Amino acid sequence: MPKETISFKLDNRLSELETLNKKIDTFGVQAGLPKKCVFEIRLVLEEIFTNIAYYGSRDDRGHWIKVSMSCENNIITIQIEDDGIPFNPLDLEKPDLYCNLEDRDIGGLGIYLVKHYTKECVYKRRGNNNVLILKKTISPDL
Amino acid sequence: MEITHTEESGILLIAIKGRLDGLTVPSAERSINEILGSGSNRLLFDFSELEYLSSAGLRVVLSAAKEIKRRAGRTVLCAMQGYVKEIFEVSGFGSIIPIKDTVESGIAELQ
Repeated sequence: MPKETISFKLDNRLSELETLNKKIDTFGVQAGLPKKCVFEIRLVLEEIFTNIAYYGSRDDRGHWIKVSMSCENNIITIQIEDDGIPFNPLDLEKPDLYCNLEDRDIGGLGIYLVKHYTKECVYKRRGNNNVLILKKTISPDL
Repeated sequence: MEITHTEESGILLIAIKGRLDGLTVPSAERSINEILGSGSNRLLFDFSELEYLSSAGLRVVLSAAKEIKRRAGRTVLCAMQGYVKEIFEVSGFGSIIPIKDTVESGIAELQ
């Protein structure tokens, strides 16, 4: 399979989710990805994007989030870079999935889903930016 | 995203159609809170036409179920499809809220 790559920059406003979804769909078509896989990439990227949009900046300055996706040899690599304060979403605590309804915490599920739907997640701080690299195996449609 | 609801024999049925994501959740949350204002304590979520949901959507469902629980009531989720169903399973919702395959079996569970 030839290498397919797409790269774009978003503002860290929630309304940019729509642009993000369109870009993922375009990438999905270009790379010939199965429907389920596109669905999962949308989920993973929405979770990361909303986390950065909520926590990634604590000032009034506009921030950007840069996303690159590539697909080679059945592996999708997604890189998300932002210029917000140092923030590693992977450090968020895993929610307790086995407690009862009253005690079930409302937060923490997003990053749990990201980890579930990817093979590998790595965070690093590079200069003034946060960089997250996710790797995902292409899941076939059932 | 579109939300409709009906109430019959004390069972409140809320159907969510389309996408429940970071963009649609604020309005979904408002609608659901308004609907729950009826004071009902038996709630059935019909997800047969729910195409997508993220953790933001899961949170809305969880808060509604918690509210019903505070009223000493019960919530059941039903009729979710393929990938959406998987997200509920991965998130462990089945162990806290009953999940049924059809609207009919959901209603039966609440009777």
